[in-house]
Formats: sequence, C-alpha cells, structure tokens
Amino acid sequence: MKREHEDAGMGSDDPVAMGPETAKGKMVPVTRTGDEMECGVDELLAALGYKVRASDMADVAQKLEQLEVAMSSDDASHLPQIASDTVHYDPSDLYAWLDSMLSELNAPPCTQLPPPIAAASRGNKPSAAAAPPRASALHDFKPVVSPTAASVGRVVCDTDPQSEKILSPRDPKRMRTCSSSSSSSSAKEATSSLKLATAALPVVVVDTQETGIRLVHALLASAEAVQQENFKAADALLKQISVLAASQSGPMRKVAGYFAEALARRIYRHSPLPQADRVALNHLHSHFYESAPYLKFAHFTANQAILEAFTSFRQVHVIDFGLKQGMQWPALLQALALRPGGPPSFRLTGIGPPQPDNSDELQEVGWKLSMLAESIGIDFHFRGFVASSLADLEPQMLLEPEGKRGDRDGVEEAVAVNSVMELHQLLARPGAVEKVLGTVRALRPRIVTVVEEEANHNGRTFVERFTEALHYYSSMFDSLENGGDTEADGDLEEQQQHRAMADAYLGRQICNVVASEGTDRTERHETLGRWRGRMAQAGFEPVHLGSNAFKQASMLLALYAGGDGFRVEEADGCLTLGWHTRPLIATSAWRAAAAAAL
Amino acid sequence: MRRPEEEEEEEEEEEEEEERSSPGWRRIPINDNADLLAEILGRLDGRSLAVAGCVCRLWSALGRREAVWEAVCYRQVAVAGASAASGGTRSVVAALGGYRRLYRLCIGPALDRLAGVRRRQGPAASAARHVSLSLALSLFSIDCYERLGGGGGRQQQQQQQQPRPTSLLFLGQPVDVS
Repeated sequence: MKREHEDAGMGSDDPVAMGPETAKGKMVPVTRTGDEMECGVDELLAALGYKVRASDMADVAQKLEQLEVAMSSDDASHLPQIASDTVHYDPSDLYAWLDSMLSELNAPPCTQLPPPIAAASRGNKPSAAAAPPRASALHDFKPVVSPTAASVGRVVCDTDPQSEKILSPRDPKRMRTCSSSSSSSSAKEATSSLKLATAALPVVVVDTQETGIRLVHALLASAEAVQQENFKAADALLKQISVLAASQSGPMRKVAGYFAEALARRIYRHSPLPQADRVALNHLHSHFYESAPYLKFAHFTANQAILEAFTSFRQVHVIDFGLKQGMQWPALLQALALRPGGPPSFRLTGIGPPQPDNSDELQEVGWKLSMLAESIGIDFHFRGFVASSLADLEPQMLLEPEGKRGDRDGVEEAVAVNSVMELHQLLARPGAVEKVLGTVRALRPRIVTVVEEEANHNGRTFVERFTEALHYYSSMFDSLENGGDTEADGDLEEQQQHRAMADAYLGRQICNVVASEGTDRTERHETLGRWRGRMAQAGFEPVHLGSNAFKQASMLLALYAGGDGFRVEEADGCLTLGWHTRPLIATSAWRAAAAAAL
Repeated sequence: MRRPEEEEEEEEEEEEEEERSSPGWRRIPINDNADLLAEILGRLDGRSLAVAGCVCRLWSALGRREAVWEAVCYRQVAVAGASAASGGTRSVVAALGGYRRLYRLCIGPALDRLAGVRRRQGPAASAARHVSLSLALSLFSIDCYERLGGGGGRQQQQQQQQPRPTSLLFLGQPVDVS
C-alpha cells in the first residue's frame, strides 16, 4: 500500500512531474542529469538542507514510516519528557539521523528527541526563533507536493491565534483551521511531510480511516493533556491534529477543526469568543433552523403539546423563554385558528436578551406575529421582556398586567411555558435553574414544554465533557452533511452557504463547551434523564406527548431528503430526534404536580 | 380563440350525426360550462392542473380559481379528523396566501419528495408516509410569516428587497410562477 507507492514514487522520481504544484513552493523543478547525480544526493531534499543519497531514498522512506509508527505509538505520558529535551543529532544527514532515532525510540525510556519538537516546545509563539530555518523551509515545501498536501500547508500555515477573523461567521473556511502557531513544527510533521515529499511525487496515498482513528486519539490525548495542565504536550498534539484533520473530508474534518480551535483557545488562554453581535447570532440561528430538522422538530412537537393542553380554553397565554425570531409561533397560531370551536384569544410573552444596539428586536417579532394573527383572525396580544438571564424574572412580571391572575372578564386563562434550549444555560450559575423552575411553578401553567440537547456536556471533568462533546457534535455534523438534499435542485452554492452558517453556529457551541469555564460556559447540556430529575424535584409531573406529535414529527422528518438517517423515538412520553442510533435533541412536556400547594 | 369555435362547429355537426345514430347521447362543448370544467380540473393532480392552465385563457383562468386548487389540495393530502373544507379553513388559507400557493410551496414539493423516497426505497417502505394538511399548513404559515419582512436575521437597514424566506428550502426550490 503505502510502501509500494513510495517505491513507485522512488522509481519514477522525476522532479519535472511536480510542475503545477511548484508554483506554490520554493522548489524549482530540476531535471536530473548525469552531472548532478555524481554526488549521489537528491537535489530536492538538498535544497532543504538534507543530504540524502538517491540510492538510500527507499530506505529513508521506510525508516521515516517506522519512526512515525514508533512515535505515534507512544503514550501521551512519554511526551512530556520528550518535549522538554534538547537536540543531540544533526538531522541534515537524514539517513544516519533516522537510524539513530529509530534505535533510540525502540529502546525503552527514551529521553532524546528530534530537534523540531524541542523547537516547538521552546517556541510556542508564532515567530519561533529557535526553529531551525530548515523547519520553516519544510513548511514551504508542503504545498508543493500534491493537492491534498497543499491543503495541509494551508491548514497549518494559515492562521494567527490572535486573529479575530476566525470568529467571523462570514468566513467559515477559516474557522476550520487550527489556530496553532504556524512556523514551528513537530517531528511528527517533519516526518509526515517528508514522507509525503518522498512518497508523493506522483500521488499521495493517505489511509483516511486510519488517520481518522488517529485523529480521534490525538484529540482525546490532547484533552487529557490539557486536563493535566500539560500545555506543551497538548500543543504538540494540536499540530498533529491539524495535519491529520487535513487528510479527512467532510464532517470529520470540520469537527476536528472546531475542536482543535477550541482547544487552542483553551491552551493559549485567549479571551473567550466575544459576544458576537445579535444580528450575526440570529443569522446563524436562522440558518441552523433551515439546514437541519432539529429546531423544526422541537417547535412542532412543543406546539402539538401546547395545542392539546389548550383545548376548550377561550383565553390562552404562552410564555416563551427564548423568543429569538419567533419561528415557533406561526404554526401554533395557524393551528389555533383552525381548531374546532374557533380560535381563542391569544397572548404571547416573549423573553429575550438585551440588545447592544438599542434595536427592539422583541417588538419587531411581536409586530410581525400580530400581523399574521390579525390576517388569520386571532385576537393577539404581545408583550416583550428583556432579561439578561431567566433567573431575573419574577412571577408577578409575567402574569396579568392588570394584576389579577388570569381572570380577565372572568374567563380562565391557560398558561403555557415554552423553553427551547434555554434552560441549560442556567446551570452555569448555582441556584439559577431552581429559581426559574420555581417561578414557572408559581405561574401555575397548564403545560411546560422543555426542549434540550440530549447530551452530557456538564460532566465534572474536562476530559469527560470533551469526549461527550466530540461524539455528540460528530453525529450532529454528520447529520447536517448527509441529511441534506442530495438531489439538490436548488442553488448549490447557496445551500453550501447555508450549511456553512449552520456549521458556524455549532462551532460556537463547541468553543463554549471546550474553551470556556465558569459562568462563561453556558452550553451546559444535560441528558433527558437529568432534566427529568430536575423537573420532578421542582414539582412537575410528566405529560405524555401523544401519538399526534409523534406522527407529525415522523412526517416532518420524512420530508427531509436524507430522512432515513433521522430517527424519531419515543421515550417514556418524551420524543427524541436523533441521527442513526444517537438521540440528539429531546422534547418533553410537564405540568404542575397535583401535590403540594404553593 | 378560433380553435374552440371551430371545434364547436365540428362537434355540432358530429352531434347531429350522433343524434341520428344513438339517441339520448348528447355531447357538451366543455368550454361552455365553466363550472363543469372547473369540477373536472379539480380532480387532476397539481402538475396536470398547472399544465392544463396552458391550454387556453379560459382554462388558465379556471386553473387559477381557488376552489379548484382547494379541491386538488384536499385530494392529495390526508385530512385528520372531521370534514374537508370548512369556512374557517378557507379564510385562514386565503389569509396565508391561498390554496394554489399552498400547493406550490408546500404540498407539491412534499409530495415530490415522498415520491422520490418511494422511488428510491420501493413502495413498501414508505407506505405509511403521506402529507397531512396540518403539517402542510404549519409549514405554509411559517413561510408566510417569513415573508412578512424583517425576519431571518437579515439586517433591516440594508435590505432593499423582500427577504428571501428560507424555511421551506429543505423541500427543494419551487419555481416561482406567481
């Protein structure tokens, strides 16, 4: 496999074959003549400062591969010692260097290490002075080799950790790159790039499955290192990750990119993602709404539960904990308008975060909804509340402005509380979620609908959270990639743009889970089981989401092109939507337990 | 148009011949009976109805009647619970944009998507899948809401044209013929 290609590469070792790629690098295509071969040294590598005899090339390639295997099979625990040691060998004589490296690494506890890793540990800043010039030349060499290796070059060299451009949702490609330092390199890189160089003059063969597994291991090892506060090792692993990620395609590559970036943020203690302006966040949110069925599923199932709870009431009041663009409510309004017996009088209280630019977004949404409601003949009232945290709310604020609870004209009002992915953010502050649930209980709602991500991203240890998040977001990205319209009759470029925005939306979540701590870490997802416990403790009992909701959700999913991957499942009265075997989002409904009085 | 008239003349001639040959059988020139024609057109599926609208002006006008599209919609979707069109439903749908639009944006693409699934997986697999009116109306209402302007997170100040609603893009891109 690889070795054969390397040998084939050796055989047809014609530098002129690299024509098109050389434009990117500093290599000049040199044709071999008898004169130049007299010293027997390969010119391409010689230009980099490595003296390798042409006759030894096959051996060198083989040894490089052995070296790579030997190094990658080291546990993370060896790396700390490795990373702190200094240079002992001159790598310019590559053949001898490899020999000595291999003999050392194969011997138990090795203490010596190739220079570039030492350079990496010494020079964590982007402009590593300690890195030998040939290391940076190695970097330039990368783009030359082949298109896939060219993307390697782009991934690693491109970024600046300080660059805020990474955050721009309008430049989704950059977000995929790892923000590790660019000019220092690890031996891993050196060996792999050289291997690519020697092996890939005509073609690069990368076993993506194997590198995929290695990528996951590298990510986990890096998280482990971060937890142990071993930032040098983690940094070295990050570089490995960026190389491996480039060989992947599609969702795995994006996931690895986002996780690597988040890890880098954590390692370098950069400031957490600034509060991107509301418009950009809404933009991302609405693209995520469009690209994947999760939010639609959430809205439709919650609406069905609310609709059923509102039967026979003439006055209804819905309190939405996260109004955003109000995309959930047109469908409920329409269903209420068409219900047998005619529509009720409808009141909506929308809660949203404070706007930095003084625009009253809640009022705009309310206005639009009231226009829609008026056109379909529903008596609609809207109230917006700005609150930076749900815990700031008091029951009195949310109830009747007239002061009397629910009894307008003597008609009883049914209250529904709806929370789509809002409750988990309260877990960042102790006591907040209990207070909010207490507030909800005080409103005496007919039904409380709760939609949350089905994942455990609030574990006590960092590695636990990291591993869970890695699996969760891998499934998520996979579903976005494969659940879309494969027979795209739309504009492909536009679809890709939508998907890029949805990716960015998830990327922000990943960054929050991995890189933030304390009150900044708001994406504290918990599993349905834990939410059930919390709700029960707060005095709620579950309401089964009947078969209508299930049918509607199944029908909705059937309309998505990749519909087979999505699974709607029922779990004890709650509905979950997942990708293949992994549930990703769960809807549940609750009402106040009959037991205690307030 | 001249052709229907010519046809009518021919038909009248044939009528007389027919009357002579088989008493009791009378041909009706269909273009004289708009309501009858509308009733017939209402039994077509969406695509055929749209094609029929290209025949002549009369057919085109009939093909745009809400009642015709209403019949088409109800034939194509599964309606849960009681009756078919009630007055309330009609007014709501009219407010949201009409049955023709409902078919074009929601029901048609949904049916196409399900047919595609059926093609790929075989009829047995998708036996239970159909489009329900409530689902179609929900999607329709979301789309109508998006078109009200200012939604979707686009910047109000810089937006000159109507924001493009995106909530139905997952169904595929309908051709805009309105």
